[in-house]
Amino acid sequence: MTALETTSVGSLPKPDYLVRARAQTARGKMKAAALRRLEQRATAEWLAFQEEIGIDVLVDGEQYRGDMATYFAENLDGMEVSGLVRSYGNRYYKKPIITGELRRAGPISVGWFKFAQGRTRKPVKGMITGPYTMMDWSFDEHYGSREEAALAFAALLHQEARDLEAAGAKVIQVDEPALATRADELPLVVKAVGIVTKGLDAKTVLHTCYGNYEEIYGYFNRLPVDQLDLEMSNSSLDLMERFRRDPLKKEIAFGVLDVHSHVVETRAQVAERIERALAIFDPQKLVIDPDCGLKTRTVDEAKAKLEVMVQAVRVVREEHGFA
Amino acid sequence: MVRTTVVGSYPRIGDSHGEQVLRRAIARFDQGRATEADVRDAEREVTRAVLREQADAGVGVVTDGQVAWYDSQSHIAGRLDGVEVGGLLRYFDTNTYYRQPTVTGPVRWKAPVLLEEWQYAQDASRAPVKAVLTGPVTLARLALDRHYGKLRALAVDFAQALAEEVAGFRSAGARHIQVDEPVLTRHPEDLSLVAETLDALAIRKGPAELTLATYFGDVAGIYRNLLELPADVVGLDLAQGAKTWGPLSKHGSEKPLALGIVDARNTRLEDPKALAARVSALRDSVDLERSYLSPSNGLEFLPRDTARRKLSVLVAAARAVGGGP
Ligand SMILES: [Zn+2]
Repeated sequence: MTALETTSVGSLPKPDYLVRARAQTARGKMKAAALRRLEQRATAEWLAFQEEIGIDVLVDGEQYRGDMATYFAENLDGMEVSGLVRSYGNRYYKKPIITGELRRAGPISVGWFKFAQGRTRKPVKGMITGPYTMMDWSFDEHYGSREEAALAFAALLHQEARDLEAAGAKVIQVDEPALATRADELPLVVKAVGIVTKGLDAKTVLHTCYGNYEEIYGYFNRLPVDQLDLEMSNSSLDLMERFRRDPLKKEIAFGVLDVHSHVVETRAQVAERIERALAIFDPQKLVIDPDCGLKTRTVDEAKAKLEVMVQAVRVVREEHGFA
Repeated sequence: MVRTTVVGSYPRIGDSHGEQVLRRAIARFDQGRATEADVRDAEREVTRAVLREQADAGVGVVTDGQVAWYDSQSHIAGRLDGVEVGGLLRYFDTNTYYRQPTVTGPVRWKAPVLLEEWQYAQDASRAPVKAVLTGPVTLARLALDRHYGKLRALAVDFAQALAEEVAGFRSAGARHIQVDEPVLTRHPEDLSLVAETLDALAIRKGPAELTLATYFGDVAGIYRNLLELPADVVGLDLAQGAKTWGPLSKHGSEKPLALGIVDARNTRLEDPKALAARVSALRDSVDLERSYLSPSNGLEFLPRDTARRKLSVLVAAARAVGGGP
């Protein structure tokens, strides 16, 4: 790996023309095929942007997804999508419902992965919503056991990971934002993610965010992935001290952009965050990215934030003499 | 039938266009195309609809659905002196987030926080509207404390501030007041602090019936102590907190309970007869005439149409238990 490799977490904002098209499609005023062409256009534009500013490992930006759990739910047998429920503030999503035995009728995200990887020589991440999060973010009307439901998701998401690998994915990311929800279920997270990543040749990444890391720290090294991707721009000094005392035995993708703030960080701010990470982590095992998906920002804000991030990495690389 | 009530929150939007007035008003406000008064009007329209849905279902003691609350913590704490509102944090084990109150100085009450919302709802409702407060220990546990350094000191000051709210409800004639301490399902060791702080609220309540609500899990380990706290009614989550059925069945209760039997975290609809059978089995050990049936926690974690159906299940179960007024 190059020192201070750059990447993104997953989602990127949808351009206005796509937001409008999705609303029209929802009201039956646009055909699915026409929407798909616009999703492809937006995906291609985001890939071109990432290449242009010099990001190392790309994402497809999830232009075709509404919500990360709902997208997988819509493509699995045994699941339905409920009415709207609130996430926070004025944000709502359609929460999935497990109504029967879970089955994967076919690949879910592989088509979009191929579309994206076909447009760039740089590696594009394969993206999977993790089994624990799928379970935790769904209403379960069928299994009646959180463990059973999580393991059922894990088995079929392993097949999805295999298919992504077969399609050429060199990096596969498992998103587990729900990871820190219940400390007593961390062994279940380890078990379920382990089923997904078992025997993969691709580099595996686990992304999580907005949890109390101090509480779950002891599990970081047990998570069966090669790289941990963490929201860190607001991390406390206590947590950094913990990393020093109790070193992480895998790569870390260190979030340096606050995705919930409209304010674009300055290059100096981001450089300072990178320096803080460099004081602890081996540059060869340190990846720089935003805290989380940027989909809640505007297109302009997201672009400005990513540009500042790449510039800051360049400055720090030069100062430290990294190739 | 046994009396029925709800725990507090209710879905503020539904899937139809007409049920999304508040969402649209807030979006327009964020874009600078609507005023705060427009948002307030939309909140009130939704509050009336929420009251109507509870009335249509036949719920006895209702709430305003907490339609105007950003979340259970910042809505109250954020309007006290000494508190600023910070970043997003996951709310218990729900897939929802709250803005974390940051305590930067002594916590002091300055003006009524909830009274106007309660008064509006009560004026719009035939059924008594229960005034609901997030409890001082839960507020203290979920806040970021940069001032006190001790949980107890912070909780005691939150309690002093909330006592003013309780006194305000009392003067306005509220007959039902509820204090939520979900944190007891995670930190049973906070029981004595809840006892101490609840005392400060109870002495200001006057003739109102005071409920202590627990949810998001069981209270099996502290069940009997819980019943000794200075509350008139104790609320139990018997879905996610199914473990509480054990001590409940074994020891019963002389104090009226709010039995949270309808699962407010899952869309699966219960059979009212099966629920009624479980409740009826408590007849000899719990005073069902003075108790309530309720959902296991606030209903806002469900889609709106499911919340409506859950209310129907609740009332059908209460009717099937029979007896009582
Ligand atoms: Zn995230």
